[in-house]
Amino acid sequence: MSSSNGKDAKNWVGQALPRKEENRLLRGRGRFSDDIKLREMLYLRFVRSPYAHAKIVGVDTSTAEKLSGVACALTGAEIVSQTQPFIEIGPDPFARIKDYPLAAAKVRYQGEPVAAVVAESAALADDAAELVQVEYEALDPVIDAEEALENQSLLHDEAGTNLVWNGVFEYGDVAKAFKEAAHVVTIDRMHFHRFSSTPLENNVVIARWDPKDERIYYQCNNSFPSFAIQFLAAHLQVHIDRIRVETSDIGGSFGIKITSYPQMAVCALASKKAGGRPVKWVETRSEHLTSSAHGNERIFRETRVALDKNGVITAITSRHIDDCGAYPRYEPLGCVIWSQVFPGVYRFKNARIDFSQAVTNKCPVGPNRGYSRMQHLWFLERIVDVCAHKLGIAPDEMRLRNYVRPEEFPYTTPNGCIYDSGNYPRMLQLAKQKIGWDDWKKKQATARKEGRLIGIGIGTTLDSGTNNFGQSQIVNPGLPYSGNSQGANCKLDIYGEVVVAVGSCPQGQGHETTAAQVVADVLNIHPDMVTVRTGFDTERNVHTGFSGTYASQFAVSGLSAVHGAAQKLKAEMKRLGAFVLETKEADVEFGTGAQGPELIAKSSGKSINYWGLANIVNANSASLPEELYELTLNCRYIWRAPFKVPDKQKKYGNLTMTYASQLHIAVIEVERDTFIPRILDYAAIDDCGTVINPPIVEGQVYGATAHGIGAALMENCVYDAVGNMLTSTFSDYTPITAMNMPHVKYGHISTPSPHSYSGAKGMGEGGAAPVHTISAALQDALFDEGVFIDDSFNNADSLFRALVGKEISQMEKLVKVEKR
Amino acid sequence: MLSQLGDDAKLLAGGQSLIPLMKLRFANPAHLIDLNFIAGTSYIHNANSALRFGPLTRHAEIENSDIPARIPILYDCAAGIADVQVRNRGTIGGSLAEADPSGDWAVVLSTLATQVRCLGKNGERTVHLKDFIQDAYTTALAHDELVSEVVVDIPAKGSGGAYLAFKRAAPVYPTASAAVQLTMDGNVCKDAAIALGCVGLTAIKAKDAEAALRGRPISERTLSAVAEAARAAADPQSDMRGSADYKRTLVGALVRRAITIAVRRARGEHVEVSHLYA
Ligand SMILES: Cc1cc2nc3c(=O)[nH]c(=O)nc-3n(C[C@H](O)[C@H](O)[C@H](O)COP(=O)(O)OP(=O)(O)OC[C@H]3O[C@@H](n4cnc5c(N)ncnc54)[C@H](O)[C@@H]3O)c2cc1C
Repeated sequence: MSSSNGKDAKNWVGQALPRKEENRLLRGRGRFSDDIKLREMLYLRFVRSPYAHAKIVGVDTSTAEKLSGVACALTGAEIVSQTQPFIEIGPDPFARIKDYPLAAAKVRYQGEPVAAVVAESAALADDAAELVQVEYEALDPVIDAEEALENQSLLHDEAGTNLVWNGVFEYGDVAKAFKEAAHVVTIDRMHFHRFSSTPLENNVVIARWDPKDERIYYQCNNSFPSFAIQFLAAHLQVHIDRIRVETSDIGGSFGIKITSYPQMAVCALASKKAGGRPVKWVETRSEHLTSSAHGNERIFRETRVALDKNGVITAITSRHIDDCGAYPRYEPLGCVIWSQVFPGVYRFKNARIDFSQAVTNKCPVGPNRGYSRMQHLWFLERIVDVCAHKLGIAPDEMRLRNYVRPEEFPYTTPNGCIYDSGNYPRMLQLAKQKIGWDDWKKKQATARKEGRLIGIGIGTTLDSGTNNFGQSQIVNPGLPYSGNSQGANCKLDIYGEVVVAVGSCPQGQGHETTAAQVVADVLNIHPDMVTVRTGFDTERNVHTGFSGTYASQFAVSGLSAVHGAAQKLKAEMKRLGAFVLETKEADVEFGTGAQGPELIAKSSGKSINYWGLANIVNANSASLPEELYELTLNCRYIWRAPFKVPDKQKKYGNLTMTYASQLHIAVIEVERDTFIPRILDYAAIDDCGTVINPPIVEGQVYGATAHGIGAALMENCVYDAVGNMLTSTFSDYTPITAMNMPHVKYGHISTPSPHSYSGAKGMGEGGAAPVHTISAALQDALFDEGVFIDDSFNNADSLFRALVGKEISQMEKLVKVEKR
Repeated sequence: MLSQLGDDAKLLAGGQSLIPLMKLRFANPAHLIDLNFIAGTSYIHNANSALRFGPLTRHAEIENSDIPARIPILYDCAAGIADVQVRNRGTIGGSLAEADPSGDWAVVLSTLATQVRCLGKNGERTVHLKDFIQDAYTTALAHDELVSEVVVDIPAKGSGGAYLAFKRAAPVYPTASAAVQLTMDGNVCKDAAIALGCVGLTAIKAKDAEAALRGRPISERTLSAVAEAARAAADPQSDMRGSADYKRTLVGALVRRAITIAVRRARGEHVEVSHLYA
């Protein structure tokens, strides 16, 4: 630590500072929602539908309510009579649907809650839930999104259709590009599968509807509370100020915990019915897997790709059908969010994507890590990859010919997004070096001669961060959302402590550490001298309508807010310091002395420490001249992203502030006898601009890589033909563990963003790089066998069915090349 | 106690099958009789060319004992069950008594001469493993009996075995597995026991596969014939772990691989293996 007067100033941003939260979290001293026990607390258990699609004929809770220890039960009908349906983000006719947190007339997915019971203990609540009698009348389930669009069986009668949203995204001159093309590649169908990021900690809600002040108190692990309270206030018909939400440590969210507001509603209503006693709901793993949220599933139909004679892609047309499950909830935002990365990392200018979203009798989706963009990026990566193979162009060469070039940044995409910075060729070069590309190419050639199936695959992807919420107006022109903002507060407390509060709710992203680094740099003190209050709390008054932790943005929106608040505090301290030290502001320096952090007058050498400063404002104000009364040393700052509302008709405008990129290479062997795909080598290169804390970034890369490998090879939400969820336990869903992880050769480059104050880019989601990369490696291994990797999920069984059974993924049937 | 409490009572050993079932409310016993309080039920004795396992001997105790030197296939099994937590609690007695169609012990032990000792009101009786496990989740135990010991004959010199499974993740049951125990005479297989796991309602003794190996030199031809016979013996179901066709192919591949390792071990080589993971 620097001891004296700021002359040996140190930049904390960029240092590998150990995480402040490590001590607490690694020693088991974290405080998670389930650790909270309140006096008179009751426990809630949901009664859930065994059917995917059925009419509710009757719900009888009387036996359950008679069980001793049961406080009350709630049914869908009761909730309908007391509340408004949840807000729908999308336009008519889907805005007419009635989404309640307990199904009243109909159930629309297996696991949908139809009733809730509240009892003195969790075990009693379990017992009571079994006593609730529900009579169903089965309806035809719709499991496939394309089938759903035929509207044979409707999920929501009020909408009169299963089509949630449709829009055409067209840019450039598609017809001309196809006319001039040297090759046209046609791909009949591709499919991005459903999976979820399965946080270690499931959803937890504690709600108390206090009859004394008519306020609702939540302690929970929702990861976008400012969104949740907007939905809850409208649904429960209370002033938003009457809802207090506090989050504590959160054991992972990955976006999946954004949509826990329906359960939050039920807990509040249950507490109200139980006379204001706190009600706790702790989700079980099977509940989480069947009925919290899944990632979006997407089908790509009738894709046509125009290429010139060098294999440069000139145009793409395609029809995309997104499957959002039974209720849109956060959707149809996903119908536009993918277009943040419309051309991926590629230069093509002409494209037409006809994008639809359908409801099906499956678990509703939520914004799962890589939300909506990874599906599209996978689609583009598959195109580039299969075109390379089909045209006989080496996959690395193919990418170089099509990448946006380093000198083109900031690059404006066909739909008006501005890619801030990047250098994809350099990442490719580094990844090839890390993995030993030439060496593997030789080994691959030798192995092929022995009949072994080894493939080398490249995946290049983007992690767009800090949304322009104005894009929501592209899906629904009537929505009152645009831009992006985040709040922070930085103060000198009465005894001179530096305390920062942010409107984020981290789930392992290290906000306490990075926020302290930023403030330490502004005030020229050690980060240990900065206390960071994280975890959302409406009462801290630092949230805006967008506060929470999601969508790869803290490094930009959160830290910009912290930076702004710290600057504001610094300016006040400087003014006050100049007064106290009887000098000019320009003469005041920030540093640390024998009495802790302090301000010094360069000219006189006089100093005052933080306690002295804080004391004047807070406890010794008679010494303060009137013109300094406005100083509070308690500075709230709202950071706003410099966005404009995009053109809704043309679907044109900048949708995101920063574009971190990832490039991965995998070497995979498909074993000839067991068909097990084995990762033989793996390299991951990351570019998130200026790195604020290298180990934190590296940790995010490993985490995202594990999630991606799990998604590509192990994790799949499977439904049978009538909508039974077949992967409702970890034995069936098999989330990735350390046993399944290859050694990851990590590297990074840094192209600072011109769009953020520090040059940093948001980077938590990782763009599902492994999903693209593993698909490409498998494609390389199996191209000669006539297999087309048409699905984002591949395991030993599916590879067996493609290679031996020839039942699925046949190149001949799915991909055609036309030479002009 | 079992006879007093009747059908509503269940024994609790490691709890690694029973507790998950109770959690999912598939089992709802009114009484649990915790065997963990009975002293002297967890041991591995080596006497009269047999290993004797106490009913509450944990998978981890077997994994960490000096067994691999004598019967490596037992180590393959013990060390490959789920994860550390499960192995620290789960017991060999509980595993056989549960007779889960996917359980590892029944597969491995059916390639060795194994007897299960059952203790009831009227004393103790000895049942051959092949008679003990009668069907999925069904054993020869009477309601008021418990497994009191598992006795495994130590294979003769020149015998070697291996157990291989494919698992989609560590803490899940295998997609398929193969246990092979061979006695070699030079390059010729004198005797063979082959059992297949997770491809039927119980462990399947692949008799035709054994016959295809017995008395033959270990060659590509023999291995293909054995694998083919193993595939034919399998009777798998399609489920989340894999399609029936795939499991059949997989089990053939696992048998081949297991034979190759067993042969080397029979020759006295020290070979470490691990299950295959996704
Ligand atoms: C996540 C997970 C993964 C697993 N993966 C595998 C795997 O890959 N392979 C595998 O083989 N196993 C696996 N298991 C199961 C594990 O091996 C269990 O330990 C075993 O199946 C049962 O043994 P237990 O001691 O836990 O029995 P318990 O669960 O205590 O009892 C099981 C049944 O046997 C009865 N019982 C127990 N002991 C006796 C006795 N001495 N006499 C009579 N009846 C008795 C009980 O009443 C009960 O009905 C897994 C378990 C878990 C939780």
